[in-house]
Amino acid sequence: MCRISVTFVNKDGTEKTISVPVGMSMLEAAHENDIELEGACEGSLACSTCHVIVMDVKDYNKLEDPTDEENDMLDLAFGLTETSRLGCQVIAKPELDGVRLALPAATRNFAVDGFVPKPH
Amino acid sequence: VRFIGSLRTKQTPPSSPPLPSPVRSTNRLQAATMHGRRHLAASLARTLSQAPSRSISSTPSLLQTLDPTPQSPPLAAPAAGRLAEMRRRLQAETPSLGDFAYSVEVGTRKKPLPKPKWMKETIPGGAKYAAIKAKLRELKLHTVCEEARCPNLGECWSGGETGTATATIMILGDTCTRGCRFCNVKTSRTPPPPDPNEPANVAQAIASWGLEYIVITSVDRDDLPDQGSGHFAETVQRLKTLKPDMLIEALVPDFQGDRSCVEKVATSGLHVFAHNIETVEELQRSVRDHRANFKQSMDVLKMAKEYAPPGTLTKTSVMLGCGETPDQVISTMEKVRAAGVDVITFGQYMRPSKRHMPVSEYITPEAFENYRALGVEMGFRYVASGPMVRSSYKAGEFYIKAMIEDDRAKSGAVADSSC
Repeated sequence: MCRISVTFVNKDGTEKTISVPVGMSMLEAAHENDIELEGACEGSLACSTCHVIVMDVKDYNKLEDPTDEENDMLDLAFGLTETSRLGCQVIAKPELDGVRLALPAATRNFAVDGFVPKPH
Repeated sequence: VRFIGSLRTKQTPPSSPPLPSPVRSTNRLQAATMHGRRHLAASLARTLSQAPSRSISSTPSLLQTLDPTPQSPPLAAPAAGRLAEMRRRLQAETPSLGDFAYSVEVGTRKKPLPKPKWMKETIPGGAKYAAIKAKLRELKLHTVCEEARCPNLGECWSGGETGTATATIMILGDTCTRGCRFCNVKTSRTPPPPDPNEPANVAQAIASWGLEYIVITSVDRDDLPDQGSGHFAETVQRLKTLKPDMLIEALVPDFQGDRSCVEKVATSGLHVFAHNIETVEELQRSVRDHRANFKQSMDVLKMAKEYAPPGTLTKTSVMLGCGETPDQVISTMEKVRAAGVDVITFGQYMRPSKRHMPVSEYITPEAFENYRALGVEMGFRYVASGPMVRSSYKAGEFYIKAMIEDDRAKSGAVADSSC
């Protein structure tokens, strides 16, 4: 099969299922389907704005290990989890059919130098 | 940034009468410029920080703080009580009680809203535009105007009101090593090496245009040993050789705070040394690439002032509408002025594409004007502030105007003393 189905889950719970051709990155797929996933550095491993959370750990294990560069950028991502990856580095393959990716609550950490956001 | 969007929607009380389209109202800024900034900013910052809602400041509470002996609000009052009180006041009042609107909400896919009228841009075109474009392609030059999709491209390249065409040349290639969330310029870990002929080409192109004021900017080149500072300095020097009377502004990267790089560029013969802080101190990490930060940028501006010959101006720019509060803007302005920066500009952040950070709000022209007045009061040499203003927008005109006013003031003083 040359297309797989991927579901993006927003922080408020709404979902969008899209069809992704094998070989395309999750970031590209999101952009083609108008999903709100930023990619400030256009997939060049210079930022962490395309951070996605792989919801099923089995799917996470199917992915190749992240490179050192990816890990460096992931360390800067907001809301990092054990199954976080950069969307631009997750390439669609047949084994990933049906994968669910959660979008983090925010793209960057607001806490800078001990600044605590005011409660709302 | 989704944070900010949900902050705002939570504010509207469920059973409120239909309010006009959501605006952030405050006459705090207005009051600040008229009555004395420090006193006001301090007392109102206190009020604002204790208020549960960030977006609405209702008039009675502001009038209280305008009182010469401000009472600090009761600290023990529970948040729910204060929120209910504010909702009651909102329902009771009409929004336009002498205050102006600070900002306008941005439309989203789920809730489309029209863009405010002042955000409309003219589509580039015309003879001068075509001529400049042709020249750039011929000499294989890049402009940040094109690369970053500036909305003023049509106006600046065609000369605007005064007929002086301005373009901001981008050197060191069209690909940056950093990925800031607001920037449309291409990013790569390993951009192609810079063209060794570029300094000569750029200098020749600019010299042949007959421009009086030029801004030269570059991408970040963290991959090069000198981070591109040598290339930059050479471009400025060559231009000075060809056109000694030309006014040159350089909009530089932070060179990771490297002193020798900053010195190289600051001593190359330019008139204005610009480096943008882009946003308020609190949002630096959120808006800019992780390699950039407030302290580093401020250090670069301070170092430039040290190394550059006296009379060189330092300049910085801020984008509004990224999610900052007026408090943060004012406090950042104070820090910038304290660092000795001469010029500051404010513009509205516009989202280059879906791949970039969403716009938080559209700041009104009135609010921009207030920031300008505030900046002048703080002692900046000149302040350019408006939704479409960018770092190098009308840079030449402003600079020349400021210099002329300075000269007039000096000659006026001399005349007085000789009488």
